[in-house]
Amino acid sequence: MEIEKGKTFKCLRDKREVPQVVKDQLKEFNRIKKGMLDALKETDQTIDQLTQKLNMPKPEVVYYLMSLIKYGFVQTGEVDDMDEYFTYKLKK
Amino acid sequence: MMSGQSKNISFDALVVGGGIAGGEAALNLASTGFKVLLVEKELSIGGKMIMLSKVFPTLDCAACITTPKVSEISRHPNITIYTGSEVGNINKIAENNFEATIIRKPRYVVIEDCTACQLCEQACPVSVPDQYQYNLVGRKAAFIPFSIASPKAAAIDIDNCILCGACEKVCPTNCIDFTQETEEIQISVKTVILATGFKLFDPLLMPRYGFGLFKNVITSMQMERELAPTRPFNTVLRPGDGKVPDKIAYVLCTGSRDASIGNPICSQICCMYSIKQSQLLMGALPMADVTIYYLNIRSFGKGFEEFYQQAKGMGVNFVKGKIGKIRETENGNGNLILRYEDINEGIVKEAEHDMVILSVGVLPNQDASGFFPKEELKLDPYKFIYQADSLISPARTSIDGVFVAGTASGPMDIPDSILSAGSASAEAISYLIQE
Repeated sequence: MEIEKGKTFKCLRDKREVPQVVKDQLKEFNRIKKGMLDALKETDQTIDQLTQKLNMPKPEVVYYLMSLIKYGFVQTGEVDDMDEYFTYKLKK
Repeated sequence: MMSGQSKNISFDALVVGGGIAGGEAALNLASTGFKVLLVEKELSIGGKMIMLSKVFPTLDCAACITTPKVSEISRHPNITIYTGSEVGNINKIAENNFEATIIRKPRYVVIEDCTACQLCEQACPVSVPDQYQYNLVGRKAAFIPFSIASPKAAAIDIDNCILCGACEKVCPTNCIDFTQETEEIQISVKTVILATGFKLFDPLLMPRYGFGLFKNVITSMQMERELAPTRPFNTVLRPGDGKVPDKIAYVLCTGSRDASIGNPICSQICCMYSIKQSQLLMGALPMADVTIYYLNIRSFGKGFEEFYQQAKGMGVNFVKGKIGKIRETENGNGNLILRYEDINEGIVKEAEHDMVILSVGVLPNQDASGFFPKEELKLDPYKFIYQADSLISPARTSIDGVFVAGTASGPMDIPDSILSAGSASAEAISYLIQE
């Protein structure tokens, strides 16, 4: 049977089930992404502020925020007077 | 999945490992007119060197050295490259006659058709830790390994793919192909060069240093990425809270010169790469204090001692001390207390730092020992590939016609790896022309 180019994923979908853990990780990423982008819509935020707003551990906020910067949703803002912590804002 | 089809092709040489040593050996053979198959298990050639920020002691940009070399290897008409592939087994039939099985895993992308436009990356909804950034940041399931990867083509991480088809829908060249299957390729070669490189010590095996538990304790490879132009963050930051660090400690000999964790030998590169990173940190963060805790500084190579003195002159603090334990401060600021024996004074001291880098050591990659079911590839007492005559013929192994290049035979720096690759290719050529 000829498999149509651009739709070959369907062929693998018939043979292979996506593990539940992968689906759960995607849901978790989407939930965190939405939370972060919503928080940043209001105003620029520091990692500390996002940690409190999202009720997440700081290392996780750093990891997901840096990922969102890499994916082009967020950008780095100003650094504070002590040159220690940056603010982060939505990429327009 | 394994496709039933198998190919049978011939080359003069099989080079296992596409790092700087394997690449150099392949280039030398190819430039002499021999046909080479270069097999690399990762999605890109370039090995660990392509991931580095700069090299010591010259502080030349690592990518600027590696990229042209990798490009030359990729374009050479006498070199065939299989990335994402592993050696199944190698059998010696006779002198100048080896048969090998190569397992080529599906990339789910037709490399020749991919333009590296990254539209698949943008469309992919999945985010998982990026192994090429040492898990400091995420990557997509449809991804280009890193910006200077070779081949620069996308790949699908099928273990984390949700098979939504978003990547395929946006691909302008229809290069994504989920029908690809694992291929088993039978090849005939006349000689083999093993350039399987080394592994880095996993600091989780030393729980007293708190790696994994305290997020501001990172490895030297993670810091290497933070200092590279293609870094995961906008500047050097603590992964624990995104703070710009200003009191940084290096712990040398993490997983080296330590019989208690099974690696009694010196890794030969940790002192110098730590000194290199300390100088780069002083440049990136001019206000930062950098302290290196060491047992002995082994600055044995050309220009190394001057490089060490240069770091001292820049203000890097060197403390001759053995770290016993690292713990987090109790006030929750993420800082770390290093408890150590000051070797010069003979007393136990404590010091607070806001980031700790573990200078992890070099361990043998023992993959090659499983390649030869019918012959014995001897390993040395430290499980690196045994050099049958390390003084006169350093690339010879215990199997005639099989040669070793680079750190597969023991810890060494980049120039020595390239020299070793030169030796391996010269000996392989000598073996080939005796046919």
